[in-house]
Amino acid sequence: MAKDINDRTRTIILGLVVLVGITCAALLVSWMDTLRPPDDPYAIDESLYLNGKTARRISLSFNGLAADWYWMRSLQYVGKKILSVPEDVPIDNMGQLQMSLLAPLLDTATTLDPEFLDPYEYAAVVLPSVDVQEAIRITQKGIAANPNAWRLYQHLGYIYWQQHDYQAAAETYGRGAQIPGAPAWMEAMKAKMAADGGSRATAREIYTQMYEQSSDEQVRDMAHKRLLQLDSLDQRDVLRKLLSAYQARAGRCPNSWKELEPVFRTVRVPIDASGAPLDPTGIPYNLQRDTCEVELNPKSEIPVK
Amino acid sequence: METTASIAQSNTRAATRHGRFWRITAIARNAFREAVRDRVLYNLVLFVLLLTGASIFIGELSGGQERKVIVDLGLSAMLLFGVFIAIFVGVGLVYKEIERRTIYAVFSKPVGRGEFLVGKYFGLCLTLLVNVLVMAVGVSLALVYVSHGWDPLILTIWPAVLLIYMELMLLTAVALLFSSFSSPALSALLTFLVFIIGHFSADLKSLAGSLGSSSARWLFTGLYYLLPNLANYSFITPAAHGRAPSPGFVFATALYAFIYIVVVLSAATLVFSRRNFK
Repeated sequence: MAKDINDRTRTIILGLVVLVGITCAALLVSWMDTLRPPDDPYAIDESLYLNGKTARRISLSFNGLAADWYWMRSLQYVGKKILSVPEDVPIDNMGQLQMSLLAPLLDTATTLDPEFLDPYEYAAVVLPSVDVQEAIRITQKGIAANPNAWRLYQHLGYIYWQQHDYQAAAETYGRGAQIPGAPAWMEAMKAKMAADGGSRATAREIYTQMYEQSSDEQVRDMAHKRLLQLDSLDQRDVLRKLLSAYQARAGRCPNSWKELEPVFRTVRVPIDASGAPLDPTGIPYNLQRDTCEVELNPKSEIPVK
Repeated sequence: METTASIAQSNTRAATRHGRFWRITAIARNAFREAVRDRVLYNLVLFVLLLTGASIFIGELSGGQERKVIVDLGLSAMLLFGVFIAIFVGVGLVYKEIERRTIYAVFSKPVGRGEFLVGKYFGLCLTLLVNVLVMAVGVSLALVYVSHGWDPLILTIWPAVLLIYMELMLLTAVALLFSSFSSPALSALLTFLVFIIGHFSADLKSLAGSLGSSSARWLFTGLYYLLPNLANYSFITPAAHGRAPSPGFVFATALYAFIYIVVVLSAATLVFSRRNFK
């Protein structure tokens, strides 16, 4: 009887030690986290221990899983960098963030699994603002490993287009259009690039295709924002013309948007209750009276650059 | 008279063959039961937890690549768990019988050394088959869950599963060979090394080609042909991209596995027959 009581007491005490110990350890970790200085988004990252070829060699049959791991690390890496700065950074314009590990991570993922197409797309969209030569190299590596994947030509053409190398972009779209199964718009893009590479119509076509074709939510979101930006640029051109006309007529800049409200209604520019024109996300534009210029509202999600 | 004698002889042979089959089946069944009693199949619980967790959370982490990750993770875990079972259970199959001295009781009955080894081998292969089948069904269900319905990858993973099973059968035979003459720890180590080197076989060949010394070239070429070529059984990554091996390739790998297993089990029987259990 006494032995049973002793056993029970010991069980309770040991159980309590486990519970209290785990709780204390968790609290301590949480406290230590508050003591640790925050990560510096501009700090130079420690380079990867393994390059792609070595990682592939030692991964035995598990190269696909290792590629997934590196791919997810790339996404986490970019996500962490974005969250570490207060302002909203579009994923295709992250040059100011120190992202020296992105190219090696994507390179390793695609060396481990050369048929894994999503990292190539990420390399084409995110990497050019960080290291354009690496972006071109990784995408070309993808084309060499997957010669029948027309989408890789689309990605490479996009990189060249971003670099304003419309001739190379046209050639790349043209090569991609020759691949069996490539959509007809690849051939049309070739012509557009050659004739009018720097136009908004071409940019709209590129981002529309990217938005429709991509399975990556971040890329689709970026393409969507770029399309909104293009709409906004068109809107701002119209608004500038209206402002110039008003200035020519009245000899001054309007004091507020309200003065232009009747004109906006005539040309069907969307406006809010105060008469201010709205951008494609529904946020009113700002009127810079000193320069008589229309500007994006800082609250707007539309990228400035 | 001669005809009657030959008929009697043939009947005896048939009866012996028939008896051998049942003896091997009985040993295999016991080996399977022992593995189940040893809670070997408990790894399935871990596997199910892993896949369930992956199916729920991987979507957010993988940027829309959850189907690929599920296949990579599921099939890789299937191979890894299978390799651990093949090695750690395989090397103990014979050793445990010797340690418990039950082998004396077995051999006091009309059971051959070869029958004993083959029976044990098939018992573990049956355990691995159950393990692999349950895991493959788990991966298929996880794909149905993440795709919200039918997914074509469900069909393409099965040839890869078959190749994984063949690789595990091959590795089990190797583990049994080592355990027929050495301690479990050394057998496990040697089998694990064979698993690793088996996946580096292409490197062995290229190494042999790049060496200047002819003796070294012969050595590495010999090793390339002698050691099991396990790289041919790696079809996890293509399966995750929806590619299945051709029937000809599967047949060739099955034939290679069959020949290699026969050779390894014969060698194991040869070594085991020389051991003294009297």
